[in-house]
Amino acid sequence: METSAIGQARPQINAREKVLGRARYAGDLKLAGMLHARLLRAPHAHARIVSVDTSAARALAGVRAVATGADVPDRRWGVGHKQQHVLARGVVRFVGEEVAAVVAETPEIAEEALDLIRVEYEELAPLLDPALSLDPGVPQVHEGGNLSEEINIDRGDVDAAFAGADLIHEETYTTHSQYPGYMEPMATLAEVDGAGRLNVWTSTQSVFLARQRLAEALDRPISSIRVIQPTVGGGFGGKIIEERSSVIAAFLATLVDRPVRLGLSRLDDILSGCFSVPATIRLKMGMTRDGTIVAKEVDILADCGAYAGLAGEVMTVTAMRSDNMQRIRNIRTRARLVYTHTMPRGAFRGFGGAQMSFALNSHMATMAEMLGLDVIELHRKNAIGPGETSVHDWKIGSCELPACLDQVSEAIGWGEKRSRAKAGGVLRRGVGMAAAMHVSGNRTIGNWDGSTILLKVNEDGRAVVHTGESDMGQGAFTMLAQICAETLGIPVAHVTVAAPDTDNSPYCIGTLASRVTINGGMAMVKAAEEARATILAAAAAKLGCDAEDLALVDGVIRSADGAHTAPLAEICRYHIYRHGGEGIYVKGSHDPQTVRFDGDFRGNIAPAYSFAAQAVEVEVDTETGQVRLVETYLSDDCGVAINPLAVHGQSNGAAVQALGWTLYEELHFEGGRVINGNLADYTMATADAVPMMHSMIVEGYEPNGPLGAKGASETAILPGAAAIANAVYDAIGVRITDLPITPEKILAGLAELEEASLA
Amino acid sequence: MRNLDYLEPESLDEALRMLADYGDEAAVFAGGTALLLAMRQRMLAPGIVVALGGLSALRGIGYTPEAGLRIGALSRHSEIARADIVREHYPVLAKVAAGLANPQVRNQGTIGGNLCYGDPATDPPSVLVALDAELEIAGRSGTRRVAMADFLVDYFTTALEPGEILTAIHLPPVTPGRVGHYKRHLRTPAEHRPVANVALTLTERGGLWDDVRLVIGAATPVAQSMARAAAALTGQAITLDLAAEAARIAAEDLTPVSDARGSAAFRRQVVRATVRRIVAEAAGLDWSEAAA
Repeated sequence: METSAIGQARPQINAREKVLGRARYAGDLKLAGMLHARLLRAPHAHARIVSVDTSAARALAGVRAVATGADVPDRRWGVGHKQQHVLARGVVRFVGEEVAAVVAETPEIAEEALDLIRVEYEELAPLLDPALSLDPGVPQVHEGGNLSEEINIDRGDVDAAFAGADLIHEETYTTHSQYPGYMEPMATLAEVDGAGRLNVWTSTQSVFLARQRLAEALDRPISSIRVIQPTVGGGFGGKIIEERSSVIAAFLATLVDRPVRLGLSRLDDILSGCFSVPATIRLKMGMTRDGTIVAKEVDILADCGAYAGLAGEVMTVTAMRSDNMQRIRNIRTRARLVYTHTMPRGAFRGFGGAQMSFALNSHMATMAEMLGLDVIELHRKNAIGPGETSVHDWKIGSCELPACLDQVSEAIGWGEKRSRAKAGGVLRRGVGMAAAMHVSGNRTIGNWDGSTILLKVNEDGRAVVHTGESDMGQGAFTMLAQICAETLGIPVAHVTVAAPDTDNSPYCIGTLASRVTINGGMAMVKAAEEARATILAAAAAKLGCDAEDLALVDGVIRSADGAHTAPLAEICRYHIYRHGGEGIYVKGSHDPQTVRFDGDFRGNIAPAYSFAAQAVEVEVDTETGQVRLVETYLSDDCGVAINPLAVHGQSNGAAVQALGWTLYEELHFEGGRVINGNLADYTMATADAVPMMHSMIVEGYEPNGPLGAKGASETAILPGAAAIANAVYDAIGVRITDLPITPEKILAGLAELEEASLA
Repeated sequence: MRNLDYLEPESLDEALRMLADYGDEAAVFAGGTALLLAMRQRMLAPGIVVALGGLSALRGIGYTPEAGLRIGALSRHSEIARADIVREHYPVLAKVAAGLANPQVRNQGTIGGNLCYGDPATDPPSVLVALDAELEIAGRSGTRRVAMADFLVDYFTTALEPGEILTAIHLPPVTPGRVGHYKRHLRTPAEHRPVANVALTLTERGGLWDDVRLVIGAATPVAQSMARAAAALTGQAITLDLAAEAARIAAEDLTPVSDARGSAAFRRQVVRATVRRIVAEAAGLDWSEAAA
């Protein structure tokens, strides 16, 4: 008999098809008569489109359609701010904005046709520096000014608290934009079928949000669109609702009577991808001598690029999420989101948390040193705990942050490494750490955060799970299969999770805010419990006993005394026959008991909160400025780990992505144009650039989560940058406050130290 | 990508005739790692591609004590790295080839293609200059030999005349006591293109260095021989101080490139550190304790 379906390292249920090359991604799909689309992008950061001549492109043999901003719906789409047309109309606002599109019989013909489109631009002065965006007289990105959003939060009495502080420290931190770097560039296949419905297969984190956005952007009824999720090769936030190519592909399909596929090359994907929101953060913090944080003042300037998208929500997270990690009562925060004539920025794994985590944890390490305290003790002293309510009214359920701190400090040998004598050599080592929190779920748009599972148990006793929550590679389907198997009492191998499809799947928000395990998982528990009750009732009727006496374990129904037993398949068939053909088809819905933010950003938005800590050792080459990550230990508090293998995979992946952000990746712009928009020059971490990774789990029990689980491993991307920056400081005494940590900055910092020591 | 004719000559003569016939319109395809990228990024759009893959004369790696090493221009980096005769006689070249770029490039890219592309951010040129390599170049009027140092003209520019094909790389026979060292510096471990590399060859005589070549690559438009620094190392007992002094001279004499991957000042700094280390290591000294 199978032991528990949860809590054991288990390969993802879709791993096999992926490694065999059998998984089908959107770019693999073909329909009879399929055409191919290619996009023409703006070469200017800011320009008026004077004229577009598509006649030569249209005349090219094999071209089926050419579209420009003049052809697209008048209605603008967007998240909060409705700002975008399907193709640029009148004005281009960033280099790479889609100005025209070609549909042709082959990708090559489409490509060639792009060269035949003549666009006349009147170049306008661009606004490229967010720091200048609010100055008088600068170019305006949109009517109504360059300020997209501003939030202000005021808690307690900040001035009085600062007056009572023994130590006040203020610093400005800058963070940069990161490419999500998923393995699968965006790809979409779309067709208008004979009945006039628009069918779209696209790489997305949410089929229902995708459908809603297509309805808006193409100005057509929601139910006239069907979105189906093929296998998705990673999203990291970039495939929620901001990428543009799926919208353009679906629009192009409405122009022709054949299916259209738009698969982006890597270069194209970088130009149209959704990079993370860069933020400049001024942080001022007051502490008493014993390390208690008494006051905090924060000023954030974040850059959303040309269109707001989700960047406002991202900035809100930067502004206030980390406040909830600590017992602090006096906070004053101003955060402003501004437009620039650069690529739109938005959602990215961690959703704004990484930016503030860098600032906060760098600050904590600096102040700990000033107070002569160990930074881990400082975190411990201020850490919020289970059962507490945070300054923004977040109700903390499970919280294993102190255990995470213990785990990483023990694993890396914190005390010993911190106290070792500083060597004066060329290669110097140091250790650093950081801690962070994240949500598991987030009640936002529509004031709900629920999830529904439809569960079908077939006549052979095997189950099919229908969900609108997506697996983008992170393991959602495996998690659902495990919870289903565990709760229902069948082997995991007997569970199939059907791909999200807006026609057949229950309505769901999709994969974001680490909400799928906790909310989708709870819906799964409920659905499986109901199916089990239905099955046991049928079994009781057939076997002539009480349902309460029966149990379903590993696909077999048994009474407690062993007198009655039946294979599950027999009972499933019995149910169908005795109910006039009605199979076992149940629904489980779960909406957590959370609230939306009120107007003052207060309220318990998530059913649970996840925590993580990371400790790293670096080696700094003082002659070349190169920083090498020697080792990293990351501890994730995810409640009960449904699948430890998946948690470790996600945690290690997050740590690598944080490493890339901190040391390796940096966008270079020239006049608003990205000059290193390829993976040779925009260098993400490769296998040989990654040190020994240690991922660890602190298992708690989350009462609001399915079988004790909560969101895993999105928290894991948050501490990396500050842990590395703190380790660099420990190694060489140079405090880097602007990311990424480049060799040049290290060398400049060392030169400054040298100068200061000579002065 | 526009349509192109893909030609597969079966002999060197046929290949040379094709290049003569099609002139500027033709591009030569060796391993394709650079050419295909350039075509995909639409930086190059040749109407004719002449693929050399079928030319057996351009393959093979052989060594004789009289003539030295001959590496066919179509040899892949991984073949050079694995070749026993290279590992035995020119271990430094095998080491360079084994660490070049990434496995995909090593298994597909050719040494000839690498040299003809003229991209400075790569490893082979500096070590080949330091090993006194000569290039064998075929043209319609016959074959000529060019010293490696003269082959490199400027940033993405070589001495290859239109219509010519690089056929082989020759290295002189190994002489007793001659050794080679090589170091590449990547800006970060995630980079596959060096920001600087240093090749050092020398002959040891009685504990002193003679016939020293110190060549810098990747940080410069073309591999640059550091004559003054090499002279400083010649006939002297190598100490950490001398290593630092040679490094200082090399950095001073450097003609650095300056781009998004490294400013001139940064390249100079990296070259200085790398030269100091390669000299120290070659002399069996530990550079890690004493900063220059």
